Amino acid sequence: MALLELDGLTKRYGGILAVDQVTMHVEKSEVRAVIGPNGAGKTSLFHLITGVVRASGGSVRFDGQDVSAQPAFVRCQRGMSRTFQLTSLFPEMAARENVRLAAQARDGKRWLPLGGRGVFAAAARDGDAALERLGLTHVAERPAGLLSHGDQRLLEVAMALAQRPKLLLLDEPTQGLSVEETAQAVDVLAKLFAAGDLSVLLVEHDMEVVFRLSSKITVLHRGAVIADGDPETVKADPGVQTAYLGGLD
Amino acid sequence: MKIVAIGAAAIMALLPLALPPYAMTLLTEALILGLFAMSLDLMVGYARLISFGHAAAYGFGAYACGNFLLHTSMPVPVAVLLSGLLGAVVAIGVGWVCTQATGVSFSMLTLAYAQLLYAVAFKWTAVTGASDGLAGIPRNPGPFGVTWWSSKAGFYYLTLGCLAGAFLFCRALVASPFGAVLRGIRENEAKTLGLGFNTRHYKIAIVAISYGLAGIAGALYAPFAGFANTELLFWLQSGQVLIMVIVGGTGTLIGPILGAVFFLYVQQQLSNYTDSWALFFGVIFILFVLFLPQGIWGFLQARVRRREV
Repeated sequence: MALLELDGLTKRYGGILAVDQVTMHVEKSEVRAVIGPNGAGKTSLFHLITGVVRASGGSVRFDGQDVSAQPAFVRCQRGMSRTFQLTSLFPEMAARENVRLAAQARDGKRWLPLGGRGVFAAAARDGDAALERLGLTHVAERPAGLLSHGDQRLLEVAMALAQRPKLLLLDEPTQGLSVEETAQAVDVLAKLFAAGDLSVLLVEHDMEVVFRLSSKITVLHRGAVIADGDPETVKADPGVQTAYLGGLD
Repeated sequence: MKIVAIGAAAIMALLPLALPPYAMTLLTEALILGLFAMSLDLMVGYARLISFGHAAAYGFGAYACGNFLLHTSMPVPVAVLLSGLLGAVVAIGVGWVCTQATGVSFSMLTLAYAQLLYAVAFKWTAVTGASDGLAGIPRNPGPFGVTWWSSKAGFYYLTLGCLAGAFLFCRALVASPFGAVLRGIRENEAKTLGLGFNTRHYKIAIVAISYGLAGIAGALYAPFAGFANTELLFWLQSGQVLIMVIVGGTGTLIGPILGAVFFLYVQQQLSNYTDSWALFFGVIFILFVLFLPQGIWGFLQARVRRREV
């Protein structure tokens, strides 16, 4: 059984079909990318999966359960951890506190109003491990708002990772980065995914990034899936070539 | 730091031996207002939830306690704690309503709740005494003839004990996992929600705790002054306590207590000279916001840190 199963997922905004009958899967330990030209419905699809937006039709099954009716924070509690398209951090807290708070969200006693040393210790352990994996240990004590843009994007991934998610959801992880920063970030992410212990769904429009990071690709065009498979198959698909190269009519 | 804290506590405990009666009265009132301001700081300083209607909690506590003391033989400390608890329970509902909104709208809803209570207090004569208020609120004795809180110094100790207890509680609260989530909400609520925290529950909880502590402050005021009136619920009271928090230093707990003492002291001094003291205090407030936005305590902390460096 797949980790994430979308079945006929649809989102209508008035007369506009943003997401049209999308059926796709993410298997365990798979790194899957959803790509498509601007306006293809990638971000809408991401919102439907994470629960920020309710679907007009279809279902989202995660880890064997139908989560279609659940709000975003409950899906997150079940093991979906996400990053935001526009960097979203706690700018005045140190990088370490950012990941620690992220890890705390997974603790059954995350709400303890008094004491809580054990909660902090466990969260710090997971948080520091995540910083280490993304090569951010050397900036751990710096306020997140003062990190370079590239490090901020990676810190957001570290926060999601600190939650030890079943599924890691990345919304355009290189959005807003310069060419060099993108290359660096992609190197770090490629190394992270190479370990093979993560299941990842990433939404991205930069084709180079996608081909380097992902093993499976789903192509969206006007809200619908037009191709699905490994990078070579997708690259060779005539429909994909038309969608990308034949204009965005 | 520990030595300073113990020293300060010892001085506070010994003050009744040194101060004249009128100063004791003033100091007790300052501590009550300090507790009130500290309770607001939990919301303003730690969760960036700006309450424009904190007088609601204060007045509620005062009226509740006034009724307990007038109509039952409940001893003062029990009536005070019970009033605070009642205020916290009611505030769960208030928090539930107000946190439907965020930002300025949240503030407006807290103000609306306070104005609602203000209007009710004028009409519900049986409970609030309408425009006359509740007068002659006694300091009921406890069992076995325990009456130490009926004296001036005794009531000061009762107030000091409540403030110290509340301070230790708040300090532990903001240092706990719960407190860490509050700081997350303060800095980036959308992200905190995105991490899987149900931020609304945390906000309702901090509103309830904050209103409960403010209720204890109001409940102390009733037997302290011997009366409770609608002024305690008026928006002016809400504005003043917000000023105390900002002048003292938000997000510091101790700052707002200093802010309350400062406010009361300046008010006392200015009102010797002029009836329009509020005008002058307004100028002082503006100067604080412009030149000392971190408040009294924030300023002192920065000074100490600089000396250490």
